[in-house]
Amino acid sequence: MRGSSERTTPAVDFVCIGQEVSLSLKFRFLLVAVLIVILFSVLVFLFLPCQHPPVASLENAKLALKQAAKTGALRYKKQFYRSAEKLMRDGWMEMAHQNGRLAPFRNYEVADSILKLAAETAHEADREARERIRYLDSLAQSERADLQNELLLCREALDGSLANFKAEHYWTSADLSLQVSELLITKGEYEEACQTVAKGRESLHRLIEILAEYANDEAQKINVWRRWVQETLTESRTKGTYVVIVDKSAHKTYLIRAGNLVHTYDCEVGYNSVHQKLFAGDGATPEGKYQISAVKPHGSKYYKALLINYPNALDKKRFQENKKRGIISLRARIGGLIEIHGEGGRNEDWTDGCIALTNSEMDHIMQYVTVGTPVTIVRRSDLWP
Amino acid sequence: MFKRITIAFIAFALLAFVSCAKAPEQEMQKANTSIEAARTAEAEDYAPDAYGIAMDTLNAANAAKTEADGKFALFRSYSKAKEMFVRAEALANEAASAAQAEKERVKAEVEGLLTQAKAVLDSADAALKKAPKGKGSKADIELIKGDLDAANASYTDAQNDFTAGKYKSAKAKLEAAMQKAQAVITEIEQAKAKKAGK
Repeated sequence: MRGSSERTTPAVDFVCIGQEVSLSLKFRFLLVAVLIVILFSVLVFLFLPCQHPPVASLENAKLALKQAAKTGALRYKKQFYRSAEKLMRDGWMEMAHQNGRLAPFRNYEVADSILKLAAETAHEADREARERIRYLDSLAQSERADLQNELLLCREALDGSLANFKAEHYWTSADLSLQVSELLITKGEYEEACQTVAKGRESLHRLIEILAEYANDEAQKINVWRRWVQETLTESRTKGTYVVIVDKSAHKTYLIRAGNLVHTYDCEVGYNSVHQKLFAGDGATPEGKYQISAVKPHGSKYYKALLINYPNALDKKRFQENKKRGIISLRARIGGLIEIHGEGGRNEDWTDGCIALTNSEMDHIMQYVTVGTPVTIVRRSDLWP
Repeated sequence: MFKRITIAFIAFALLAFVSCAKAPEQEMQKANTSIEAARTAEAEDYAPDAYGIAMDTLNAANAAKTEADGKFALFRSYSKAKEMFVRAEALANEAASAAQAEKERVKAEVEGLLTQAKAVLDSADAALKKAPKGKGSKADIELIKGDLDAANASYTDAQNDFTAGKYKSAKAKLEAAMQKAQAVITEIEQAKAKKAGK
């Protein structure tokens, strides 16, 4: 029982008890409501169908990109590859965005289709890169083959003509380009290989230009050489004497008597005989009308020798003109001691300007020629024999 | 009593929200900067595997952040994303270092070849100067000079390619130059032997 100081009226006691009862009921209602909400949410999450994230599509896209990169798509189809990369990232982020939502509200359709597109694009990049590589490989091989064939033709032309070091230089340069391009192809550097072949082709064009220059020079001088040959033959016919005609390009020396061919000798000429002799040491055999000025049956370094009277008046005149025009150095000497001598038979042009026969052929020719015998040397004779 | 429990619960939830809901902006920035640096260092060409792993990790970190962004604040946590950004940054730095190391290795390899090729070309040049001279050898010497000129031209091209960073092309040209120069040396040695045996 309460003390006298704490006395309350019966009505107040009743209100307090009523309030306590009211609070207890409210709390219970609230608790039940919360429990119902929780139970409902659990039921929704458990039984409402929700989508699974397209993890497989993401993995496929990653694999496809890896394969494309391995093939070289980044190098040969960069734009395609970057597009596929971006699509994969976008699809991944869209998937992550959906993952962040409440399960019943997730929709992975967009993410899945983006990732599938990423994989397709990566496959396309891979395919196109492979095609590009195949194309470049094929192009490089075909360009190489073309250059090789043209070089072979030029090689035949060079081998069949007088030594031409200017042309040889460009041939070697083009040939080296071929070798380098082969190495580049083995390293998968197809574009570089094509560029190298193109450089080789430039050398080849320069080589062809030089050959054309010499052909043009020959075309301009052929009539002069024809005239010299005709005059020599006429002299031989008229006087009934022996004459010698040397055809540098054909590598032949002809012994003629009374205008008729008596004997043909194989010969070798100067190591740089593609043009007229310009100065001492240029390696060219002179072209002109000469005579034997001395016969050396003994004492020659090259078995036996027939000295010819190079330089003649025309040679001296040309030499002075070339110096004035700056074609040759002012310090250059005209040279001399051009002979027909032995120790030939080497199958290559090796002399400093002389004409080399085999020893047995020297023995033969020396039976018929003497001091004063005309010797006409031409670069090419299309009239004789 | 109920009121005190409720207030305590709300206070605790707010605390958790504040501590876990902060996006890892700094870590993300650092990771992106490192990836960019790796790309500049040509890691895609020189360290493609390491770069690929770094990019994958960065993408995964971005995905984790995006996922967390979408969650209700009370359930949001960026701890996984943060950890992955930190890892992506480290991997990108590794990729950049690996690329740099590989570039240095390739560069050193080509530099070595340049030195080697120069030595062979110099030897060929010296051999040519001592080649047997005289009538009959001039044609060969002229041809050899042509070969050596071509080899030297290839060497010069290789130097230009090296300066431009085209290491594979430089290597091929140096190999061709050395082969040519070696062939020249062999030819001269054979000519000398032939002359000696004559």
